[in-house]
Amino acid sequence: MLTAVKNQFKITLLSVKYALQREMLNKFTFFSNIIFMIINNGCFLIQWIILYSLRDGIGGYSFRQILLLWGLAAGTYGFSHFFFKNSYGLSSAINEGRLDNYLVQPKNVLLSLITSNVDVSAMGDILYGYIMIFIYGFEIKTFLLYTLFMVIGGIVLTSVAIIWGSLAFWFGKVDMVANTMNGLPTSFATYPDGIFKGFIKLLFYTIIPIGFASYMPIQIITDFNIYYFFVVISVTILFVILAFLIFYKGLKRYSSSNLMNVRV
Amino acid sequence: MKKYLYIYKTKLMTDLQYTFDLLLGFVGYIIHIFIFLNLWQYIYSNPKELINGYSMSQMIWYVIITEILWTCLSGRAFSKDVSNDVKSGNIAYNINKPYNYVEYALFNHLGGATIRFILLTIIGLTIGFVFLNGFPPLGILQILAVLLSSFLATIISIFLIMSLSLISFFIEDASPFYWIYSKFILVVGTIFPIEFFPEVIKPFIKFSPIYAVSYGPAKLFVDFNMTDFISIMISQVAYLIISFIICHLIYKKGVKKLNVNGG
Repeated sequence: MLTAVKNQFKITLLSVKYALQREMLNKFTFFSNIIFMIINNGCFLIQWIILYSLRDGIGGYSFRQILLLWGLAAGTYGFSHFFFKNSYGLSSAINEGRLDNYLVQPKNVLLSLITSNVDVSAMGDILYGYIMIFIYGFEIKTFLLYTLFMVIGGIVLTSVAIIWGSLAFWFGKVDMVANTMNGLPTSFATYPDGIFKGFIKLLFYTIIPIGFASYMPIQIITDFNIYYFFVVISVTILFVILAFLIFYKGLKRYSSSNLMNVRV
Repeated sequence: MKKYLYIYKTKLMTDLQYTFDLLLGFVGYIIHIFIFLNLWQYIYSNPKELINGYSMSQMIWYVIITEILWTCLSGRAFSKDVSNDVKSGNIAYNINKPYNYVEYALFNHLGGATIRFILLTIIGLTIGFVFLNGFPPLGILQILAVLLSSFLATIISIFLIMSLSLISFFIEDASPFYWIYSKFILVVGTIFPIEFFPEVIKPFIKFSPIYAVSYGPAKLFVDFNMTDFISIMISQVAYLIISFIICHLIYKKGVKKLNVNGG
């Protein structure tokens, strides 16, 4: 069992490595994508500088905590889009019969599929997250917790993307719904939860799970809470199990398509 | 001109077939308005209070209008389409047709933007009316002035985004230029009026495209006055001419470098 997991992990890393090598063929485009993404994210600091000049402690967050929130939002998004880019195009892969390529491979279908491509600009998001951590105030504990929650948050976002994408097994063309739902966590994750009231907060801990990917991790990083820590870990495991269960349940209904395509 | 109007009409009719998809795509717009509604309600502890000359309801209306202008553009998809036309060599099929590619892309995209603008305006005005208990006081002529300014803003934006996307003639992936432009417009032009920025920066923003494509129409909607209208019109006409020339220059220069491989 352990060897199988180890082998699958190795295959996953190799898959990402080859996808990255493909992207690095054009070095200028590769590096400009990363650098411009960092500048792109940095533009939003202007928004917060202006907002904090109007009022202190927006939504219960200090300006430094906003930097942390932004860093974590960018980091989780970047981790998920860099390592698991294809989970965001799962519904079209199902509808276009592109799972055929992975079904004939003797490895985990879902992992092979979602790791077979990388989003280079997402590396810029990951780096931006670390830049924010350094501006926030570098400490070994903060750095390690941040890295852990970047990975965990990225896995939560990926699991949710797999769940929405897998609906294509039952309902066919769900691209628009999946894209919309996958965009929601990113829209909310860069704003402090304290500005929202009532019903919407419930959504942050259910169908838009940024409560577990961003808000609770921020509280843990700034003021460590063992209870929250285990809640985040447990919920992440639950999301992963749910994503695998739904995907493999749906896979039994998969019937390919007559669309001809060549995988290069 | 007739052929371009035909292209515009065709795109308009095609997009009308996918109204449901379009409406679903507007969830992002509604979410942004919802976020800013919450944010400004939090920042304005008293709704009657004025910050930099704007009341809470004016600030929310400002975001509603700038977001309509930005979302109806669907800039990311447009930029991707133009870049792909260049990178895939598809543009070669357009060169030998009896129209200019730049005008073709403008009118084609304007067709889709018209439908999105109408639907977003209905959604935006409804949200504003429900949450802010009414509209800003505007007469018929003032509404026409806002519409004219919005129309010019949209055309200028299309030319500017097309110019950035046509850089694909010279480098493989021009999308980072679009990211920066879009964030510049979103952060500096969509969220806050110029009055919220430090005095040193204000003149730069006033002479930047933001004044023409974002601030102008929204400012006229929330607080119309003749002086602003004239100043915004001058800026829009100037930017229309400048963006038109830049776009055609990049296209003309780029097309000479075009090298399409068969396949």
